[in-house]
Amino acid sequence: MESLRNEFQEELENLRSDLIRLGAMVSETIGRGTAALLDRDLHAAQVLIDGDDVIDDFCLGLEERCCQLLALQAPIAGDLRFVLTTLRLISELERSADLMVNVCKASRRIYDVEFGPQLRGLIEQMGVEAGFLIRAAIDSYVDADTSLAAALDDIDDRLDELQVNYVQAIFTRHSDEHLGLQGAVQLAMIGRYYERIGDHAVNIGERVMYMVTGWLPEHSGSARHRLRGLGAEDDARPSLRLEQGGVDPGAVSPPAPDGDGG
Amino acid sequence: MVDPAWLVAAVCLVGLVVALVLLGRSRRASEELHARLDRLAREQRMEERASDPDPDAAPAATAPTDDASGALVDRLQQAVDRLEHGVVIWDADGAELYRNQAAASLAEARDGHVLVAAAVEELLAEAATGRHVRRVVELFGPPAESFVVAASPTAPGGGGGAIAVVEDRSLQRRTETVRRDFVANISHELKTPIGALGLLAETLRDEPDQEIVERLAGRMIVEADRLSRTVDDLLELSRIEFGDDAEFGTVAVLAVVAEAEGRIASAAEQAGISVRSEVAADVAVDGDQRQLVSAVFNLLDNAVKYSAADSEVLVEAVDDPGDGVVRLYVTDRGVGVPRRDLDRIFERFYRVDRARSRETGGTGLGLAIVRHVASNHGGDVQVDSTEGVGSTFTLVLPRAEASGSGPGQRARFATGAPDPVDDGSTDGPDLRFQVDQDEFDERMLDGVEVDR
Repeated sequence: MESLRNEFQEELENLRSDLIRLGAMVSETIGRGTAALLDRDLHAAQVLIDGDDVIDDFCLGLEERCCQLLALQAPIAGDLRFVLTTLRLISELERSADLMVNVCKASRRIYDVEFGPQLRGLIEQMGVEAGFLIRAAIDSYVDADTSLAAALDDIDDRLDELQVNYVQAIFTRHSDEHLGLQGAVQLAMIGRYYERIGDHAVNIGERVMYMVTGWLPEHSGSARHRLRGLGAEDDARPSLRLEQGGVDPGAVSPPAPDGDGG
Repeated sequence: MVDPAWLVAAVCLVGLVVALVLLGRSRRASEELHARLDRLAREQRMEERASDPDPDAAPAATAPTDDASGALVDRLQQAVDRLEHGVVIWDADGAELYRNQAAASLAEARDGHVLVAAAVEELLAEAATGRHVRRVVELFGPPAESFVVAASPTAPGGGGGAIAVVEDRSLQRRTETVRRDFVANISHELKTPIGALGLLAETLRDEPDQEIVERLAGRMIVEADRLSRTVDDLLELSRIEFGDDAEFGTVAVLAVVAEAEGRIASAAEQAGISVRSEVAADVAVDGDQRQLVSAVFNLLDNAVKYSAADSEVLVEAVDDPGDGVVRLYVTDRGVGVPRRDLDRIFERFYRVDRARSRETGGTGLGLAIVRHVASNHGGDVQVDSTEGVGSTFTLVLPRAEASGSGPGQRARFATGAPDPVDDGSTDGPDLRFQVDQDEFDERMLDGVEVDR
């Protein structure tokens, strides 16, 4: 029995290190994709697009192992949340890599568009910010660090702000007639892809908070929804039913578990 | 007359021989390491299956004592642990027998290094089947890194486990790039104006029209100026590198900035750029006035060249008695430098955008001069830049102290003060790169000497 448990713990550890590896692959992809876009390096873009298949394959294998663990070992409590969280993180990371594939594909379509220094600078910063978010998200997962996980949402504001400036810069360049409509649309979509990677990192943070505390951040929205629907009924204490991990049952919008002040 | 085809063949042959010799030299080091590791692995196996009738383990019977070989294994292990190369050894069953510290830190990383560790595992699995395998893993970073992973079976034909060695080639890759680019760039910088002069002179020879002659002559003067600026800057750079005529003493930053500003004034005015300085009169550094003026002038020159019209260039000096340094900031609202070029712009003739620098007429040596002045003073030059926003160059210089003698102050600064941009890793690649670059600079200077 003891050795069985040890084997189980070892497999959990392997899952963790493979997820770190997946995270490293994705953050490499973000850096390379951004460089391919800025350097108009069609070859590098193609290498990344092909390389995504490797990531997809790796994700499938990881997912399979999670499912096997669930089915064969029937983990409970913290271990169960760890496996479930890992399962979710795989798809968040896989999707982030897909978004960089989208960036690479878009870069092929705007091969002949001159970005200008301002847009180049903003793209570069968005790439750095997105890579940073993914790395921070992985760190929060590995260290089970809820404060970092909760902070990801705030860190993501920087990327959102960059994206807003970026869209503004596209408008300016377009109205100065340095940038055609097609190029402008493609560039705007590229900005959106980076912004979405940030959102995936925030999702990872939420899942990490769940892994550590057992509390799902969606509960605040879900509680609001139920409160609106059931508000008239006497015994409507909707969040009571959702109560998990010691959240105040009365709180409609409970604070994040680790003191980021809501 | 020699047949050109023979000549080409001969040249190819010589090139091939040189390439083979070079290849052999770099491989020798790794082969040596492999041989040592083979011995180590054999020792370990000897210990583990002392009873096995393994032909490889035959010398075990003649080994003096278990104690002695145990101590040797222990020491070898310590030695391998101290290597910069990563080493991982698998036994015959594919279980990990040994992993040195460098390899362990790769596996425990959370960045791209885990991808190197993953490659090690893959190659070990392949090598265990009896094949010698090698793979280059390029990490984008930043910083960009390059690793070579080589794995080979412990016993020929496989079945006896495998050994993998990881070598960090980032520094070599970087140096190679610098060298290659330097040769290409200096040829370009010198050849372009010379080619233009030749063509212009040829056209001029048969030109009867006085008006065209004047125009062509004007362009010849422009090209000659360009060439002479490049040579002047090269000479200035070599003078600064030798530092022979340097006179160190207390220098007021205000005087340095004022002189540099005076030199840039007309160019700035022409470009419609205002240069503003905020320097207190009592800020002083320990250094050579002429070199410092040259450094500040080059920073200003750069700022003015790459700024949009009607913008402002700001010079500030901040005295930091705590660190014992004075920081001189030159900030522009110019085109900025792409992030991946940031660590390369201080190289000679390095250009972010060749087309643009041709317009501005720079020699490509300005920032190399700044860097050398900084290092002559035991200081540093740093850059913080965002494309499309602007750049701030920071010249860090030792602060003048009335009590301290010149050289002593410099020495203290060089060893004591923490590097402001360094995030804690004092032995990071930048430092090593700096050393290597200096060595390279010396070589380049040798070339200049010969040419003179």
